[in-house]
Amino acid sequence: MRRFGFFRRLHQAALVAVLVFGLLPSVQAQPSGNDLVDAALIAEPQSIRAGQPFWVGVRLRMAEHWHTYWRNPGDSGLATEISWALPPGFSAGPIVWPVPERIPVAHLVNYGYEGEIVLLTQITPPAALPGGDVPLRADVNWLVCQKECIPGEATVDLALPGGNGDINAATKSAFDAARQKVAQVSPWPARMQMTDGGFVLSVAAAGLEAGRIREATFLPHQESMIEHAAAQLLSIDANGLALRMQRGSFATAGLPQQTGGLLLITEDIGGKLQQQAFEFSQIAYGAAPAVATVADWATVLQAALLALLGGVLLNLMPCVFPVLSIKILALVSHSGQDGEKARRAQIRRHGIAYTLGILVSFAALAGLLLALRASGAQIGWGFQLQMPLVIALLAYLLFAMGLSLSGVFHVGGSFAGIGDALTRRGGYQGSFFTGVLAAVVATPCTAPFMATATGFALTQPATVGIGIFLALGFGLALPFLILTLVPQLADRLPRPGLWMERVKQALAFPLYATVAWLIWVLSQQVGQQGLLTAMLGLVLVAAAAWSFGLRGRVAMASAALLLVAAAGALYSTARDPAAPAASVAQTQPGGATTEAFSRQKLDGLLAQQTPVFVNMTAAWCITCMVNERTALSSDTVQAAFRERSIVYMKGDWTNQDPEITRVLEQNGRSGVPLYLYYAGGKSVVLPQILTPAIVLEHLDQLDRPQKSVSLSNPTLNPQR
Amino acid sequence: MTISRRILLSAAAIGAVGLLAIPQFGNASSGVQVGQPAPAFSVKDTNGKTVSLADLKGKTVVLEWSNHECPFVKKHYTGNNMQTLQKKWTGQEVVWLTIVSSPVGEQGYVDAGQANKLTTERGAAPSAVLLDPKSQIARAYGATVTPHMYVIDKTGKLAYAGGIDDKPSARIDDLKGAKNFVDSALTELAQGKAVSTTTARPYGCTVKYASPSA
Repeated sequence: MRRFGFFRRLHQAALVAVLVFGLLPSVQAQPSGNDLVDAALIAEPQSIRAGQPFWVGVRLRMAEHWHTYWRNPGDSGLATEISWALPPGFSAGPIVWPVPERIPVAHLVNYGYEGEIVLLTQITPPAALPGGDVPLRADVNWLVCQKECIPGEATVDLALPGGNGDINAATKSAFDAARQKVAQVSPWPARMQMTDGGFVLSVAAAGLEAGRIREATFLPHQESMIEHAAAQLLSIDANGLALRMQRGSFATAGLPQQTGGLLLITEDIGGKLQQQAFEFSQIAYGAAPAVATVADWATVLQAALLALLGGVLLNLMPCVFPVLSIKILALVSHSGQDGEKARRAQIRRHGIAYTLGILVSFAALAGLLLALRASGAQIGWGFQLQMPLVIALLAYLLFAMGLSLSGVFHVGGSFAGIGDALTRRGGYQGSFFTGVLAAVVATPCTAPFMATATGFALTQPATVGIGIFLALGFGLALPFLILTLVPQLADRLPRPGLWMERVKQALAFPLYATVAWLIWVLSQQVGQQGLLTAMLGLVLVAAAAWSFGLRGRVAMASAALLLVAAAGALYSTARDPAAPAASVAQTQPGGATTEAFSRQKLDGLLAQQTPVFVNMTAAWCITCMVNERTALSSDTVQAAFRERSIVYMKGDWTNQDPEITRVLEQNGRSGVPLYLYYAGGKSVVLPQILTPAIVLEHLDQLDRPQKSVSLSNPTLNPQR
Repeated sequence: MTISRRILLSAAAIGAVGLLAIPQFGNASSGVQVGQPAPAFSVKDTNGKTVSLADLKGKTVVLEWSNHECPFVKKHYTGNNMQTLQKKWTGQEVVWLTIVSSPVGEQGYVDAGQANKLTTERGAAPSAVLLDPKSQIARAYGATVTPHMYVIDKTGKLAYAGGIDDKPSARIDDLKGAKNFVDSALTELAQGKAVSTTTARPYGCTVKYASPSA
């Protein structure tokens, strides 16, 4: 390390280094004799034991109000440097830095220390010590600033005899205190994701109590990584916390493989604010293998179990229920067939075919989703329903099924063929296809159990991810599968008879209702022209079905022609996309103003300290609709929004929106609904099922009056 | 089987739409951005002549934030590094503007007379010295330290922003062997090449900002 020779002469044996402007050629001297920094070397043991590492510390005492810098000095300043001159065979480790304070200067932020600090370093002696006292020496360079900055340097030294390495009682307390100021190694895995304009640090600290955390800040090791003075947005949910940071304007384009830093968390423990600091030495970017390692089988298993449970629950969702009922009806119709053994075998095969249909489609959907995301697409679970083509296709299909149930046409001799006009043998393909249909229709019904699981799945390596989606699909198939595999259960089903005809006709109506819902979804995805063609397409489907029901060559030919025309309607429907998000910016009667979501608008509002409630929703998300009706639009919630001047922001994910997808991701979600509340520089993620009470409780959580916590008065008490 | 084909087809359609929808990755961070037009300013120099960036279109412009009392600035002036750069590049038709953003009462503040005296004393050779005691230009550019260097190309776009070199220290010895980012950016621009290092960590003393109301 190079330095000014004349300084060394001046301060050679001194513990005090004063660098004054007067020493440099030209003008204006600082008041001399101003001992800005007093540097000394202290050792924890009284003697050195051969081969046994020991701790020393460079103690810096700063003049009042002056500060020196942490390893990352922030917007300006320089980190203190220590270069060791040790006898042969001795080696020194890196500086173990105390947790720094955030020091704001105008609109900039630096990281450093006021008062007194000890920079700990571990020294490893060789197996054989030299005779006599061992001299330890280091050149210390620092920049000390208040408003002005003055570089300084000192050579500090110390001699220790060889011995048994006993702790020096005189310095023990200084070392204990110094260790108290060092961050503890984080017990939680973390990953860093790049977003446009910044980074999101996700820390898998499950079980954090959002209500207790008052503040969280990340101080990166890398100097130019983030905008140090910019607010960091905190969100906490059951999986841990996420901090959103702004990218530094001087961040170089090429990112290193990984980063590190300190996470400072201020918690309210029994009315007392306590700060804890956690050190992350290495955080990988992106969907980190650190979190996704197979070593974490418990997490994967847990997610798979949740997915399975979520899948079972999906059966009750309004979108899947009609499909399932038809399947069960089909099962009943089989029960009249001859040969008990053959009948059971057949039923079993139907169950397996149905399960396979679901599994294959879930694997295909998940695989496609993961592949698209790997190539950079900002899409989430349920993405297929963001395509008007898929929505319209589903509507036509369900409409045709409904017409068949209503008796407009019959497929083969059994209901197993419904939905699959081309089925010939036994209807297993029909069962398979019913499974496919159930899977496709079920995706948007993101049940609460699934949010965590699917969100997790998308951060995992493809195999694990697909595995979790398969668990979800298996859950969906499970009730029917059990019904077919356990003969006792199947036997409980009523015998076929006239009642079946009635039930069959009745079941057409849930399907028509689903069609109505799909068309409504479509109305938000396509323009008026597209909507009209889509509905004309429905008429064509009806005509085709009727024609098909008439039988005979001419009828068949015209049915085929009509279907082609319907396909044409599908095509032109998909080519008429809606004017984006025109439908969401509105004022609800007597309610708070609804703003359409945009990242920019949100950032702007947050910069002005305006509280914001974000509702990420989609027309095809039934849970979202229910939450909006029962909780968000309720008078109490709307009144609370007005009272607290909360801006209600609605993100419509009915159609593709990469901006919303990214927000979902940042919160560990792969689909809607997602509810976020921002206030006072913090944010909280609300549960997926809302009641007015839940919403109000979360509003309170962040709005509770808080004492402001200044990091420059650290009541540092890391729990070690 | 027709059905699986239909599924395949719709999957393919979904895939195609998804691929088309891959968004552009933008960078929306604050402050000035390299590659974007440099913020305009128009201000009188220490000799009373108005300097406005708009008039300098067609010329390469260097902005140097300075505070003569800052040890980091002193490093580059005492070591004759800054003057050498100024002379080299103003001699090649580059406009070099030294900007002082310290407000009255803060370290580094100078009036026009003092500024001119400093220029003579230091043997400096900027095209002009601009006084920015309300820190308006510093704010517009997001200058954080002295020296903080900006290079603006002939089309008025920012070509380099950041530290002067790769040795963040106040030691004169460190001038030797340092890679000077301003010099290399100007060289590359003069050769009609793209600037290879467009930003580096700025180091130095914090710019002494005037309070926003001042």
